[in-house]
Amino acid sequence: MANQPKGSKGSARTSTGSTKAERASRRAEVAAELRRQQVREQRRSRLIMASSVVIAIVIVVGAVVAIGLNHGPKSGKASTLAPAAVVSAVTGVPTSVFNSIGPGTADNPPTAIKGGTALTQGGKPRILYVGAEYCPYCAADRWGLVAALSRFGTFKNLGVTHSASGDVYANTPTLSFHGASYTSKYIVFKGYERQSNKISGGSYADLDTLSKSDLALFDKYDNPPYVQSSAAGTIPFIDWGGLYLTSGASYLPTMLAGKTHLQVAQAMSDPTSSAAKAIDGTANVFTAMICKLTKGQPANVCGSAGVTAAASKIK
Amino acid sequence: MAKQPEVGVGPAPRTLTWATFVLAIAGLGVSAYLTYEHFTGSKTLACPDTGRINCAKVTTSSYSHFLGMPVALLGLIFFVVLVVIMSPWAWTSTQPLVRPARWVIVVVGLISVVYLVWAELYKVNAICLFCTSVHVITFLIFVLTLFAEVLREPV
Repeated sequence: MANQPKGSKGSARTSTGSTKAERASRRAEVAAELRRQQVREQRRSRLIMASSVVIAIVIVVGAVVAIGLNHGPKSGKASTLAPAAVVSAVTGVPTSVFNSIGPGTADNPPTAIKGGTALTQGGKPRILYVGAEYCPYCAADRWGLVAALSRFGTFKNLGVTHSASGDVYANTPTLSFHGASYTSKYIVFKGYERQSNKISGGSYADLDTLSKSDLALFDKYDNPPYVQSSAAGTIPFIDWGGLYLTSGASYLPTMLAGKTHLQVAQAMSDPTSSAAKAIDGTANVFTAMICKLTKGQPANVCGSAGVTAAASKIK
Repeated sequence: MAKQPEVGVGPAPRTLTWATFVLAIAGLGVSAYLTYEHFTGSKTLACPDTGRINCAKVTTSSYSHFLGMPVALLGLIFFVVLVVIMSPWAWTSTQPLVRPARWVIVVVGLISVVYLVWAELYKVNAICLFCTSVHVITFLIFVLTLFAEVLREPV
C-alpha cells in the first residue's frame, strides 16, 4: 500500500487506506449525527419554551386565585327575634285561604324513604329540619314550614333574617329556627340553622351544631341512594318522621324579593298573591305530610279541603 | 448542502393526543351536566355548599351568560368542537387548517377559563366545583396540546 503511487488512476485508495466510498459514508454519518444533534437541540429549546409558557400561566392563574380566595363575600344582616305582627300573620292564615289554594304552585313534595324506619321521640313522630340562614332556598321554604307546623303546635322565639346578600336570590326575607323552640302534642320538631349569613374567615359562620344522631340522619338520607348524587348534601333538608324526606326548596325565592317580612307574612292571607300560592301551597303539602305521620290528627286540620287536595302531591 | 431537519411537522406522540381526546370527552360530560342544570332551573344546591363553594350561586349569577348566551351552553359547544379536533383522526389529519384551528380553540378556551375564574372569585364570590373541573380540564388540554406539538417527530 505504501508503494501505491499517489493519484494513480484505477485506484480509490488514499494514503490512509480509505476508499472514496468509505469517506462518503463517514461524511454521511457525520452529517446525520449533526442532524440528530440539531433536532435534539431544537426539541430541547422548544421544550424549554413550552415549559416556560406553562409555568408563566400557572404563576399568573395561581396569583389570581390566591388573591381572589382572600377576597371574601359580604356579610348579611344578623337575625333578630321575629316581630309579633310577623309571627301572628304567618301562624294565623285563615283556613279558608289554605282551602282555596290547596297545593298551589308548590313543587318538590316529600318523597318516601325506601326502607325508612319511623323516627320518634317520646312516642311522637319527629321531624328534623337542616338548613342555614344564608341559604336562599331555605329562606323560601321556612315560611311554609312554619305555617304548617303552627297548625299542630306553637313556636317560641322564632327569628327573622335574610339570606346572604352575596348569594343568588340575595337578601330573601325569611324566618330563622336558630334559638327557636317548638311544642306540640302531636309531633316533635327540631330545626337546625347550621350557618349564619355572616362571613367569618372567608365562609359563613357556624351557627347550630347537629347532634351526633341528627348528623348521622342528615349524612345518610341527604346522600345517594335517597337523593340524586347531584343533590347530595342539599339544603334545605327535612326528614319527616324517618319515613319521607324533602331535599331542596318547594318554590323559587324570586317572588319574595324586595319584600319586608311583614309584607310576606301578610301576603300569605291574600289567596290571589303569587306568594300565597307558593307559600300556602307549600304549607298545605307539608301539613298533609305531617297528617300522614299523625294518622290524621287533628282532624279539623287534616280533614280540611286544602290539606286533602295537597295530599295527592306526596309520592 | 443537507436539508435542515424540520422539527414539529411529523406525527405527535400518541399518548399525548389520546390524553387530549379523553380529557375532551370528560369535559363534554361535565359541561353537558352544567347545561342540563342551567336549562332545568334546579331549585337544589347541587354541590357541596360551604358558603364559598356554591355551584348554584355561580351558575345563576349574571356571569352565567356571555353576550346573551348561557356560559354553560357555550362550554358544551366548546367541548363538542374540542372532542372533534382532539380526536386521533384529527391529530393525524393532513388538512392544513386543523392545526391552526386547534391552537385557536385551546387558546380561546384558556382565555375563557381565566376570565371565568376571575368572575367566580372577584365578582360572584363563589366557586362552582363542576365549573372548576371544566377549567382544570381545559388547562390540561392546553398543556398537553402544547407538548404534543413540541414533541412532534421530525421529518
